[in-house]
Amino acid sequence: MSRAYDLIVVGGGTAGCVVAARASEDPARRVLLVEAGPDPQPVPGVIADPKRQSEVVLESPYVRMYDTERADGSSFPLLSGRVMGGGSAVNNLVVVRPMRADFDTWAAYGGPAWSYDALLPMMRAIEDDPEFADSPIHGTGGPLRLQRGYRLSDPADPPVKALIQAAADLGLPECPDLNVPEPFGICASPYNIRDGVRQSTAVAYLDPARPRPNLEIRADTSATRLILDGRRVQGVELAGPDGPDVVEADEVVLAAGAYHSPQLLLLSGIGPEDELRRVGIPMHRHMPGVGANHRDHAVVYVTFQGTTELREDYVIPKVRLIARSNPSLAVPDLHVFMRPSIRMPGLPPMLPVSIHLLEHRSAGRVTLASQDPDDLPIVRTGLLEDERDVRALVDGIGLVARLASHPALAEFYGPMIMPAVGDDWEDHVRTTYETYHHGTGTCRLGPADDPGAVVGPDLRVHGFDNLRVADASVLPTVPHANTNLAAILVGEIAARALPAPAARLES
Amino acid sequence: MKLTGTIVINAPIDRCWALVRNPVALAACVPGIRDVHPVDERTFEGSITASVGPLDGDFTFTAVITRMEPPSSIDVEVTGLDSVTKSRLETTVTATLLEDPPGTTTLAYRAEVRVKGRLAILGEMVLRATATMMVNQVAGCLRSRLEAASS
Ligand SMILES: Cc1cc2nc3c(=O)[nH]c(=O)nc-3n(C[C@H](O)[C@H](O)[C@H](O)COP(=O)(O)OP(=O)(O)OC[C@H]3O[C@@H](n4cnc5c(N)ncnc54)[C@H](O)[C@@H]3O)c2cc1C
Repeated sequence: MSRAYDLIVVGGGTAGCVVAARASEDPARRVLLVEAGPDPQPVPGVIADPKRQSEVVLESPYVRMYDTERADGSSFPLLSGRVMGGGSAVNNLVVVRPMRADFDTWAAYGGPAWSYDALLPMMRAIEDDPEFADSPIHGTGGPLRLQRGYRLSDPADPPVKALIQAAADLGLPECPDLNVPEPFGICASPYNIRDGVRQSTAVAYLDPARPRPNLEIRADTSATRLILDGRRVQGVELAGPDGPDVVEADEVVLAAGAYHSPQLLLLSGIGPEDELRRVGIPMHRHMPGVGANHRDHAVVYVTFQGTTELREDYVIPKVRLIARSNPSLAVPDLHVFMRPSIRMPGLPPMLPVSIHLLEHRSAGRVTLASQDPDDLPIVRTGLLEDERDVRALVDGIGLVARLASHPALAEFYGPMIMPAVGDDWEDHVRTTYETYHHGTGTCRLGPADDPGAVVGPDLRVHGFDNLRVADASVLPTVPHANTNLAAILVGEIAARALPAPAARLES
Repeated sequence: MKLTGTIVINAPIDRCWALVRNPVALAACVPGIRDVHPVDERTFEGSITASVGPLDGDFTFTAVITRMEPPSSIDVEVTGLDSVTKSRLETTVTATLLEDPPGTTTLAYRAEVRVKGRLAILGEMVLRATATMMVNQVAGCLRSRLEAASS
């Protein structure tokens, strides 16, 4: 049967732009990319200019905020990008590969195709990293340009030099390439920037594909429901600038992100039976895993009284620590960043340090607020519900306290004011943690007989012939890394898994 | 965001109360605060400047005393607006004073800060650290004013 499209991609975020660009490389495949947010052309400076990242997050219309609660009832915001490029258009631009241990875990859910060795060629094909052109694990000529504004051998400002020295004395080695399979130590951070311009996937992947006649883009258009018939998706209901519409295709890929892909499945009657009943949506297929298994990274801040102001770049810190909260751990579980000073007239400068836990042992859940697709889903992060995660962050504070009291850094870092002397660090962790913005896991990978699994190794939704999910929500665990590159990888995997477009009778 | 703490002042409760219930006088102890002026007997307005990383922002705020039980407890409702993200900050600060032993007053404060808007993104890194530092500064200032006055 002839359809309007061969493929509909719902969500033009990090992964969705990859799927649409790769899938439309075959001129025989007619692709529709639907994005809820705008697709401003040319890309506005606030997105394109990496130095304006805090502005894009704090002031632009391209970010969505979701309030979520800690166990004590206090709240903090989760964020996502709502613009072509999604998270990759608003994030901090850092490019970090998952560690080998993450692929080992994912292979346990998805089989050998998800192992490090199987996916290394794809990671190389994604990147254009000329600084490591000779490395067997890196690639050049791929869509995603990597740039290190700073190398550990470069001259550095005194506070950065002091940090490198203090870290070395604490046993953290220099790590010039944090995209090795087992990174550890003080690392120079790579960013997706080319010639001073942010390389979101809308730029790196979608822009070269835009002229293709077989690719259609509908921005400012939200998918509101899937039209289902047994094991098949017949079409997608849309709400766009010209009102409601229905589009049909042979294949549908959901790439609406870790909060909205499960939302759309639930709105369409695919999800846990009790959850669907609660909001009054007729059940099409009982799938307990939809919206379950939400994973993220918790962050806590400690703040020191500064002896001086630190004006290090806020958006693009030169270095990060990849550390172990406990020396006995096999896999490093912390990122640590020194932040620029907070200044206020009449107060000494304040120097925050952020500690990011790269693991999340418990799990949260994404549920519907209502049947209305315009209502944001409710996210319970599940962060720090496992004592071991709390302990790791408490130990992280200990590490940072040791670091800051090293003679080299003590020149800049005075007493710790938050948490203050006598404060309970565990209480500080539990009551003030926030997110690293790495929501994942809500439509997770796993075999068909795994009740918590939503998609199989080829990202097809279990029980459906032509429906896939391809974004950060399929990752069964949150990697020991920032998640944008993992989302790109998922997009690449999905595009390769798509069946060839059906032969069609042209009229 | 919840903020709690205590400030111990070596001064009798009445002297502490006189300062706490007078926001214009209290403002002299708050760093960075500008243009504090009374609107009516219970309402005050003012502004504060702060910067973080590349951002410089101004807060304008209104503080209303909503409950007073002299000399031991006071509730102040504060609403603020920031110039950069246009976020709204709302909090009710409750302060209770207790003199024990005589001549030593413990001021316990409790505030639940609600941020509506993007400023919430900087919540724990900026707002809590700044509030903590500010309270330290205010505590020091209160002590030096009140303890000097009582010695
Ligand atoms: C503030 C911030 C900073 C971050 N910093 C970094 C970093 O420095 N490095 C890093 O590696 N990672 C970072 N991340 C994480 C990373 O950006 C995300 O993990 C990644 O973007 C997720 O990609 P995705 O494709 O799963 O979803 P998204 O990129 O969120 O894409 C989902 C897209 O779907 C659209 N959509 C949603 N619902 C619908 C619907 N119903 N119909 C149509 N379209 C819809 C959305 O508008 C969005 O464009 C950051 C994230 C944030 C929010």
